[in-house]
Amino acid sequence: MSQSVETLRQEFRSASDAAKDSKDLEAIRIRFLGKKGAITALLKSLGELPPEERREAGARINTLKDELSQALDNEIAKRGATEQEQKLKVERPDVTLPGTLPLPGSIHPVTRVAQEIADIFLSMGFFLADGPEVEEEYYNFEALNVPAHHPARDMQDTFYLETGRVLRTQTSPVQIRTMEQMKPPLKMIALGKVYRRDSDITHSPMFHQMEGLVVGENVTMSDLKGTLVMFAETMFGKRPFRFRPSYFPFTEPSAEMDIQCIFCHGNGCKICKGTGWMEILGCGMVNPKVFEAVKYDTEKFTGFAFGMGIERQAMLRYGINDIRLLFGSDIRFLRQF
Amino acid sequence: MKILLSWLRDYLDIQMPPEKIAESLNMAGIEVEALHQLGKDIKGVVTGRILSREPHPNAEKLSLCLVDVGEPVSLSIVCGADNMKSGDIVPVAKIGASLPGGIEIRRAKIRGSESFGMMCSKRELGLSEDHSGLYILPADTPIGIDALKLLGLDDTVFDISITPNRGDALSHLGIARELSAIFNLPLHRKALDESHGDGEVSALTSVTMDAPQMCHRYGARIVEGVKIAPSPRWLCERLEKIGVRPINNVVDVTNYVMMDIGHPMHAFDLKKLDDGRIVVRMAKPGEKIKTLDGNQHGLESTMLVIADAKQPVAIAGVMGGENSEVDDSTTSVLLEAAWFDPVIVRKTAKTFGMMSESSYRFERGTNIDNVPIALNKAVSMILETAGGKAKAGMIDAYPVPHHVKKIVVRPRRVSQVLGVSFKPEQIETILNRLKFEVEREGETILVGIPPFRHDLEQEVDFIEEIARIYGYDNLPTTLPSIMAPPRKSSPITAIQNRLRDHLVSLGYHQLITYSFISGDIPVQMQEGLPLTLKNPISEEQGVLRTTLMWGMYDALRRNILADEYDLRFFEMGRVFQRNGENTVEPDRLSIGISGRANPRDWRRCNEAHDLYELKGLLEGIGRLNGHVLEFRNSSRDVFHPSRQMEVRVGGFLIGCLGQIHPRFLDNKKMPAHIYLAEIDLSGFAGLSSQTPRMKPISEFPAVQRDLALVLPIETVCEDVRQALVTEGGTLLESCALFDVYQGKGIDPGSRSLAFSLVFRAGERTLTEADVQPRIEAMTAVIEKKFHGKLRAG
Repeated sequence: MSQSVETLRQEFRSASDAAKDSKDLEAIRIRFLGKKGAITALLKSLGELPPEERREAGARINTLKDELSQALDNEIAKRGATEQEQKLKVERPDVTLPGTLPLPGSIHPVTRVAQEIADIFLSMGFFLADGPEVEEEYYNFEALNVPAHHPARDMQDTFYLETGRVLRTQTSPVQIRTMEQMKPPLKMIALGKVYRRDSDITHSPMFHQMEGLVVGENVTMSDLKGTLVMFAETMFGKRPFRFRPSYFPFTEPSAEMDIQCIFCHGNGCKICKGTGWMEILGCGMVNPKVFEAVKYDTEKFTGFAFGMGIERQAMLRYGINDIRLLFGSDIRFLRQF
Repeated sequence: MKILLSWLRDYLDIQMPPEKIAESLNMAGIEVEALHQLGKDIKGVVTGRILSREPHPNAEKLSLCLVDVGEPVSLSIVCGADNMKSGDIVPVAKIGASLPGGIEIRRAKIRGSESFGMMCSKRELGLSEDHSGLYILPADTPIGIDALKLLGLDDTVFDISITPNRGDALSHLGIARELSAIFNLPLHRKALDESHGDGEVSALTSVTMDAPQMCHRYGARIVEGVKIAPSPRWLCERLEKIGVRPINNVVDVTNYVMMDIGHPMHAFDLKKLDDGRIVVRMAKPGEKIKTLDGNQHGLESTMLVIADAKQPVAIAGVMGGENSEVDDSTTSVLLEAAWFDPVIVRKTAKTFGMMSESSYRFERGTNIDNVPIALNKAVSMILETAGGKAKAGMIDAYPVPHHVKKIVVRPRRVSQVLGVSFKPEQIETILNRLKFEVEREGETILVGIPPFRHDLEQEVDFIEEIARIYGYDNLPTTLPSIMAPPRKSSPITAIQNRLRDHLVSLGYHQLITYSFISGDIPVQMQEGLPLTLKNPISEEQGVLRTTLMWGMYDALRRNILADEYDLRFFEMGRVFQRNGENTVEPDRLSIGISGRANPRDWRRCNEAHDLYELKGLLEGIGRLNGHVLEFRNSSRDVFHPSRQMEVRVGGFLIGCLGQIHPRFLDNKKMPAHIYLAEIDLSGFAGLSSQTPRMKPISEFPAVQRDLALVLPIETVCEDVRQALVTEGGTLLESCALFDVYQGKGIDPGSRSLAFSLVFRAGERTLTEADVQPRIEAMTAVIEKKFHGKLRAG
């Protein structure tokens, strides 16, 4: 009997080694472990043994059965996985077929640049204030120290409404409205559409501005410089800058900030008109007359303000050569952003 | 404004390179836009005398000249000009010479004749725009000398842009004064007086001041026996180089003085003045004047005029009248220098659209102390250029004397504003350099506002002057020490940021369209009467938009006409509506779609957009902002009558959506499936949204059932769903529509709605016995309330 068990084990091993696929393995299962298989036959032959040997022989046959069945299962699992893998590999995707979900649309280039600028100031502790686009002359001009019939009005050709109001020519009226409602210390920015009666490839009658205001005790022109240099370095990278005296009725002293031309690095090119510098913003210390208009204590508080056009930055960054493209809604333009 | 370097040297001994001067002016707030070094590109131009002029044998318009340039061989030159004759002395560019614009002179054959050089016009030398003929030089000019120096071409012109506050810098003196402060150089000025002359001016004329508030000072001097003629060459050249066209020796002098010291002047022909006298008064209603530019103007009583005994002879500060003009026959000249009110000059010039060099300066404020200085300078120049004899003295009507106001400048305040401390002596030095009158007593500095600086009114204005001359670049860079309280963005900004990113990720492109549109757009795309611009650029941009609808429609339409059909757009912006006397500016969102719904999905790329897609988009927008939107039938004329909805939140109308009405498909290219939606974001921002409260998640399995119902076609889905939800009771976790079917197998008056139901309990596993009664209750209510039934098999 022990010889038969050992023979069977040997036979199983050679059959199993010879098996090519799961079909062959299934045949082996039937041959050895099936109802009419070799193990069953061996068990049936137990009756022919003397009773005292049956017990031990039975145990050996059962051990063999477990052993073969385990070996077979392992083999099937192994071969099956490989075979399934083979089968799955039959289908190969065409990786060049397009994905079927819509591609993202686009954020308007003006919004992109505006958000980037605003984010820098928000991270510096400024908050975003807001005001109307149809504005009273008082907020757009008088409160900002631009009296009627002052030549400074020539700097901004204004749209008037038949109701007597104006389309704001700058975001600066938001400064006034904010200061009327809040007391210092104050760090605000305002962002939005402004309107001037001017139209050509670099001027649009509607464009966007970002304005900033800081008011408090001991806010100085050196602080203005430091804040705006920090902004410019974050926005444009570390590069030479300069502040030139300028004139805005609502600031005194007033300045314009230039950075080294980002295209020619100061060597002079068409974009910087050969100067090597690019003007990026106007700024200055808030004129005490503006504080008087909002009833701030002009002796106690000082402040600075700055403003910049968004379109110009967007045009420079993306190489847009005609400002009218920004508001033309042409998908062939928008898709590029 | 053009400024000549050689002219500045009348006032300053300034020897540094022009680039350095330009840079320093820029850094002091005087913007130099361009710098032209006149003779920079000129080489090899000499003076030459035309020995003979013959017609060119082969060309009617050309001449053949023989020119002596001081060399042994005279040059044969072909010339196209016609203003020269033999004996004239002209600038000659010899072979090998170069001229502005990269022109090189070579030996050339012109229509068969050899030409050995070129005779030059003023324009060819970059001297002026004059190209009417050759530049004929005075007869005593030496021959064969380098023309560069002779013609003043070794000079530099600065193109300067002056901010509106700096009227004082609109002259050579003004710029020289700036440079003197910047470089700390002495400023030289020659004093002239009016004491010499032949008889008293007051014997000949008088000035009556009838409007002293508008004209604080009016000075007049008289020169008799002048001979009107072209100005001498040096005067013409200076004027031409700064872009002023020479006229005659008297007018040129008045222009010269204006460009020199910044004070506008006027010259009258004394004999043309009725009664030979001047009255400065307001215009009388109905009065008219023909100005020197040939235009007739009706005057108003709010305008200031210079009149003679009878009628206006000039619009004060703006332009002179033809009736008193200096012309070739003039022999007696009355010169005017005055101080006019900036506002009245500006208003009048604006009314007539007549901005002159004169009005430009008066508007910005002139130096009242310059009245006698300008007159004396002009008189001395006229005597030199036009001859004649001056009357002694001047009429100086000065009814409103100027008082120098003094301002206290506190060193402590200077450092409070600038962030760097200055010693009192330092401040004093800077202010002195600017030619301000300074008194210092210890820490206190008292500065007189100089009469040439109308922009200086308060302490901080002087602080700017100090900073300007100290140099902005020399200020430190520091950060503010203040800490402002943190604030959240406004709800509308938060919504806009959220929606922008959401829509972009769904494939939408953001538009920004103009706030002003045509007043002629279809009334269906407007809400109420739009606000009208008083001075639009064009009628196309004449009114403010009341909705975003037109801008979106127009954007879709224009893209479609450019053969772009698959479009998904959104815009966020304000619209402008009347609210009684006031204007309201709600923030809105508009959406526009056209073309295929899934253009990139090659399995179903022919599906068109539909109403439910847009509805779904808006539902999502509502959800993102914490609101459940309600949709109802609506009847807007802009939309297809049966394909539109209105949108509400908590009962408030906040928007609409629909398919564009076919009447707006005005071009064959436009597909029918164009959908628009507009939502009032201010409506969202104003409503408080529900803060979600978490519900526990069940650990037990769900029972799922599908329920297909056949219902009369007019029964609306949501009513049915609501009824199912009610009957489903607390065990019903969700009830969602998954199919709508009409057609084969269904009665034509009905449609099938199929719902997917999920039942689940929080604390146990459900059995059939839990679910079946609920299904039966649902079926019952469908039969009883909706006259529907379960769909067979």
